[in-house]
Amino acid sequence: MSSPTSSPAPTERRVVQIGPFHPLLEEPVGFSLGVEGETVVDVDARMDYIHKGIEILAQQRTYDMLPILLERICGICSVTHSVCFCNAAEDLLQVEIPPRASYIRTIIAELERVHSHLLWVGLAGHFIGYNTVFMWAWKYREPVCDVFEMLTGHRQNSALPMVGGVRRDIPEKYFDEARKTLDMVDGKVQMLTDAVLDDPVLAARLKGVGVLTPEEVMAWGVVGPTARASGVDTDVRRDEPYAAYAELDWDVCTTPNGDVFDKAVVRLLELKESIKILRQCFDNMPSGDLNLGTLHMPRGEGIGRYEAPRGEDIHYLRSNGTNMPERLKVRAPSYTNIASFKASCIGEKISDVTITLAACDPCYSCTERAAVVRGDGDQPERTFGDLVRLSQAETRRLASEMGRLPDLQLK
Amino acid sequence: MDANDLVGRMTEAYGDDVACVARSHKRVYASLAPEHLLAVFDWLMEEVPGLRFGTSTCMDLREGIGVFHHLPVNGTPLVITLKVVAPKPDPRVPSLTPRVPAAGWIEREMADMVGVVFEGHPEPYRLVKAESFPDTFPLRRDFDVARFKEDIGEQPDF
Repeated sequence: MSSPTSSPAPTERRVVQIGPFHPLLEEPVGFSLGVEGETVVDVDARMDYIHKGIEILAQQRTYDMLPILLERICGICSVTHSVCFCNAAEDLLQVEIPPRASYIRTIIAELERVHSHLLWVGLAGHFIGYNTVFMWAWKYREPVCDVFEMLTGHRQNSALPMVGGVRRDIPEKYFDEARKTLDMVDGKVQMLTDAVLDDPVLAARLKGVGVLTPEEVMAWGVVGPTARASGVDTDVRRDEPYAAYAELDWDVCTTPNGDVFDKAVVRLLELKESIKILRQCFDNMPSGDLNLGTLHMPRGEGIGRYEAPRGEDIHYLRSNGTNMPERLKVRAPSYTNIASFKASCIGEKISDVTITLAACDPCYSCTERAAVVRGDGDQPERTFGDLVRLSQAETRRLASEMGRLPDLQLK
Repeated sequence: MDANDLVGRMTEAYGDDVACVARSHKRVYASLAPEHLLAVFDWLMEEVPGLRFGTSTCMDLREGIGVFHHLPVNGTPLVITLKVVAPKPDPRVPSLTPRVPAAGWIEREMADMVGVVFEGHPEPYRLVKAESFPDTFPLRRDFDVARFKEDIGEQPDF
């Protein structure tokens, strides 16, 4: 390991700056880790380095233009924010969308969840030095994005959702091709899940790391797979069914321990459930109208909820009767999940922080630049690359102790 | 828990202090004065199992600064919204952060964007606005963009 300094005395308090910018992911956050020796004793965060002003822009767009704007909040959850806004508007209007529209929304939502979870599995693998996992997960993410493009015309921004339904139809002639891709991805996800569950190094490396207890989950308002990994049974798709989820057969996955290992397992199990949902949607696609036509938006307020890949998304919409909202509040799931680092990181070793931070799948553009700041002006640089190397070295140490290769053994 | 049932119990417990209405079986909106906020929030945390802090919306309204706390209930479709309006020019609302740490960031954000003072917040520092940002509030309706550009040293028109 090429650590730039010798280990400091355990009592010496240092501050490790992580972030704020990283071009890989879309939400820049700056973290200051207070570190004593190798142990993290405090976490502080600074937000909104790229404040896009979406909420004020939303007050200057008509309801028809808004889903297009809101798709661009996030580079991965593009379906999330546009459908969540539509849920809010439909809650205000108290209308039900046509069945075909709800199935189309379900298909694009679950395709998004599959490619987002695969992206996370790959990144998590890279952070602990399992680069085979990284290569495999991202390889099988590509065909899922291709299916998304076949069905909607774009890999990310479908521009399909609109208030009262969807804008365009998706071509049924591609369903067979999509089914084939799903079968292939299903097999590979099963292989990855088995390999992860069987791997003794992964268990030693990730079990008991970054634990969130159910009490901490409730106190910090943690949502999505991060909460379900701690045994908190919450999923908006079941609790407040939108789109077609109420008609489909699927399960909410929970695991009891709340550590990084369980967060990985929950996501891998959810991938299987998402593929199950997609197959049912392709098989039972109803025909009929796509949307309710032009709707007049009355005065009032509505709240939309949506289970994004990272957890519950909330939009609060307030209308004054004109064709633009008076206020649109957007709360993405990472907003509460990242805040919970204060609970999950304190007491961890610094080599475990990378994977603990990554475990809630934050929109995580923060960790490129990190420097160890010392009071005496002697400033060794500790970059994000160094943190990843520290994390990978810890995996290698464990693997060599167990007499195994430091990577996943795929069957 | 059913929305109408909750509205009945809240009205029974707080009477005229809380104007509570169920818009549908899954949305409850309760308007109350800032001084009742903590008591009603504590009551809800005790009475409604699975209640968690979702997020808050702040709005510059005609009658003051509106702070709406959205509280989803795990395992049900219910979202309870507690609405308080703090009169201008010195809007003050008690902070929920000592009770639920989840409120910490959003309250700091609201303090930055509309200038509400959250009394009792353990970390009342800026979260969204940079340190160099002038002491004005971008989501207030009287926010003057030309003045803001002057303050930060940009020409009003470029």
